[in-house]
Amino acid sequence: MSLSADFAFTQGSLQDYADCSRRFELRFIKRMRYPALEVQEPLQFEKRTRQGARFHKLVQQHLLGVPAEALTASLVDDEELARWWANYLARGLIDLPVQRHSEITLQTHLAGRRLLAKYDLLALEPGGAAVIVDWKTGARLPAHATLRGRMQTIVYRYVLAGAGAHLYAGEAIPPERIRMDYVYVAQGGERLSFEYSAAQMREDEALLSGMIAAIDRAEVFPLTDDVRRCRYCSYRSLCDRGEAGRLEDFDLDEYEDEDEQEAFALDFDQIAEIEF
Amino acid sequence: MADNGLWSNTDAQSEIIDAPLNCNIWLEGIAGSGKSSVGVARVLHLLGRGVPAESILIFVPQRALAQPYITALRRHTAHRGGQVSVQTIGSLSLQMVETFWFLIAGRAGFKHPNDLPNFLSLELVQYFMTRAIEPLVDERDYFNSVRIDRPRLYSQIVDNMNKAALVGFPISEIGTRLKSALASGVEEAHIFDDAQTCAIAFRKYCLERNMLDFSLQLEIFREHVWAEPSARRYLRGRYRHVIVDGVEEDNPASHGLLRDLLESCDSALIIYDRDAGFRRFLGADPDSARRLRDRCDLKKTFDETFVMGAEVKTLGAELAAQLDLSVPLKCDADPRPALITEAHRYHPEMVDWVARQVDMLVRERDVSPNDIVILAPFLSDALRFGLTDGLSQRGIPIRSHRPSRALRDEPAARTLLTLARLAHPHWRMAPTDFDIVFALMTAIKDLDLVRAKLLTEMLHRNGQLLPFAEVRSTAMQERVTFDLGERYDRLAAWINRYIDDNRVDAIDIFFRRLFGGLLARAGFGFHDDVDAGNTAQNLVDSARGFRWSLDFMSRYDEKIDLGLDYVKMVDRGVIANFYLRDWIADVEEGVLIAPAYTFLLNNRPVDYQFWLNIGSEGWSRRLYQPLTHPYVLSRGWSPGAVWTEDDEQHLSRETLGRLLLALTRRCRKAIYLGYSELSESGYEQRGLLLETIQSMLRRHARVEQHV
Repeated sequence: MSLSADFAFTQGSLQDYADCSRRFELRFIKRMRYPALEVQEPLQFEKRTRQGARFHKLVQQHLLGVPAEALTASLVDDEELARWWANYLARGLIDLPVQRHSEITLQTHLAGRRLLAKYDLLALEPGGAAVIVDWKTGARLPAHATLRGRMQTIVYRYVLAGAGAHLYAGEAIPPERIRMDYVYVAQGGERLSFEYSAAQMREDEALLSGMIAAIDRAEVFPLTDDVRRCRYCSYRSLCDRGEAGRLEDFDLDEYEDEDEQEAFALDFDQIAEIEF
Repeated sequence: MADNGLWSNTDAQSEIIDAPLNCNIWLEGIAGSGKSSVGVARVLHLLGRGVPAESILIFVPQRALAQPYITALRRHTAHRGGQVSVQTIGSLSLQMVETFWFLIAGRAGFKHPNDLPNFLSLELVQYFMTRAIEPLVDERDYFNSVRIDRPRLYSQIVDNMNKAALVGFPISEIGTRLKSALASGVEEAHIFDDAQTCAIAFRKYCLERNMLDFSLQLEIFREHVWAEPSARRYLRGRYRHVIVDGVEEDNPASHGLLRDLLESCDSALIIYDRDAGFRRFLGADPDSARRLRDRCDLKKTFDETFVMGAEVKTLGAELAAQLDLSVPLKCDADPRPALITEAHRYHPEMVDWVARQVDMLVRERDVSPNDIVILAPFLSDALRFGLTDGLSQRGIPIRSHRPSRALRDEPAARTLLTLARLAHPHWRMAPTDFDIVFALMTAIKDLDLVRAKLLTEMLHRNGQLLPFAEVRSTAMQERVTFDLGERYDRLAAWINRYIDDNRVDAIDIFFRRLFGGLLARAGFGFHDDVDAGNTAQNLVDSARGFRWSLDFMSRYDEKIDLGLDYVKMVDRGVIANFYLRDWIADVEEGVLIAPAYTFLLNNRPVDYQFWLNIGSEGWSRRLYQPLTHPYVLSRGWSPGAVWTEDDEQHLSRETLGRLLLALTRRCRKAIYLGYSELSESGYEQRGLLLETIQSMLRRHARVEQHV
């Protein structure tokens, strides 16, 4: 069994591979869905992830023209979310170029595969800066060096440099013009920024194409030796790797639920048989 | 012929593909004439000309029709940039209503405009419909003369509301329309009045709780979101190039949206399949679709098939002609070689014959299983099992598509539900011994039916599983084996500990905890089992959706016991009735076994088709649906007109004629007819399809005699 011919890599799938190649195999090659609990406190976990999703939706609504006041009025029953929202309004869009694209997906090609990046916000000015903004709602601020090594930082900047020309007056975006900002709205809107360069892009390309080629070549996908990575993995019981970890030790910002599929609402396909 | 790098196009195709980027094109023709190939190539052409992918909208009536586009885009390795959008009216309206909700909720009549909306899935609509109107139905003795079960009855009320939204009339007109067209007596008039009252009661219930079923979502989109300048600006600004495929299968609401988009977009290609419109029961309106033709600058027709051989082509045309459908035919081939059949007395003999013929095609004629479909008007469990078994025994891969199969009937789901009952004795819904036997057998790896029965008989007491040590007889312990006994003990202990801890998890969390904590571990039935994992995930998704909706609603209504209500609704067939995810993931290879219309809407031609149960009335007759009607609730229906038995007969003939045309147009080589004198249930069958085929064959025989 191997990866389907039209599989698209994302930062999430590459991070899975980097963390544990067995997890990558189960999730993307065997496509095994596995509803075991990620953490010991599933309802609190769910609440946090839903709050995060709601925050992203609020920003998208705002950037598409829904007035901030109308959105603020909807937050009376969630103080924490209201605080994040206030931080976003106060600091989230400061000093960003004016041409903005929220919730946009770009794709490029590498090593014979598609590579996708789904951005919370791209703010650009043709000839000027091209800023990737990623909203983070987690309770902790990671170390700069840790974030620099995350696949998200690597993939997002690389894909924008390779696939953003149509947003930049038809010109390829020079890597030196690209910056990635992680904005921590639960930390007062604190911003961790990562510049880009042609040299870094070459380095990233070598790393990413190496990973993709290794995945395409691989016949076995070994389980990680680092059992700490299993604590929040839903395949834990399949691999017999202990019990779920505590939510308080989990960095929610590392949890990405990506899906390349377009979201389709119910269109009654399911009742085709019974009602013609 | 021109070559685009993927396939060769005819000149007519190239003219459309390469048309200017500021041109609206109408393309109509028969199935199999290469229209969708043009659509796909046009999208790639737009991308090649530098059109931003984000500005391209592919609009289809249902996602299966978008598959060729999605596949081509995924294989288009040269593309760097954004992503093309693929939408249906359902997905687009949901996204738009959700995004602009806080601008329109107040004026749309929702009672809590500052709260979030709650979009209901089909199963949740059924559930809330039950909650909203059942007290009314019981109290006022509504529908007392209708002899169908409540879930099906409520689904027809939902259907009426959806049709009103798709066609564009107020839900308050449902009763009047149905009564004037269909009510021949006081009793029927009452039924339609009841259906009207229930629809209005459900709408009020939704507005008071920020809930949106599909009909309300669509109505809000059309009446409020589309009228909101910022929303309209966004949609018109974003989608500059529109490709519409299968427009004849879409509804007037979609056509209205497209009409507006055509005014503002730079280019459009609208693809219309002649002689189709099969989704009429979902509001498909080919006449309404056709009006978009006038909005196009360039109009093209494709009538040459790239699919059918001459014999199949003649066959389709002659069968249609038998049913009074006129189809131009340029060749005079004898259609009979394209029809292969053998008469049988009993149904199982016919099923066996089908399996043997498929085997012969695959092994002796080297036909790919992907190029064979087996079709029936309905796919019962028995028929599906018979075919699956017959083909599996011969080593032929199959893919079966029956979208309405109940999730709750899947072994993994049944097991989780049974164990949930055991773990929640306060529900007072203890499972039967039969269910426990089944659950133990599924949950414990290698436990067979005999041992599962023994364990249940010895250790199930009043809804409680006793420990294995309670088996006093050593002989009996050895018969079960200590290894299986130990695993049984772990399962029983897990459940008993859950009860003793007085834990009441949300039901989806319970399923997940049991799955990961026990059933998916080594030695248990779900371990390393992809199907069980998928089914468990489907059940979790269903239960979580239920919990979220009820949590949401608890701010307006009384709290209820979620787990108990979930299991009750599953039992009643209201919840967990559908596979959503598995439909999406349906990419397997093999002989397709499907209802005829499902095959059509997947729009993939094959070499050989098997039509089963050709004596069945199901090929031409509508299902019995006393509360709704696809024609009376369509846009073309004249108010005050009466639906007669003649109309019904005419409809049957027309429906069958169109179906046969559509099927033959998706068949390259031949059609095998599966016929048995007695149906699955043992009755003689003389349906319209059988009659039509026999008439055609008799006519050819007579002509031969004269020659």
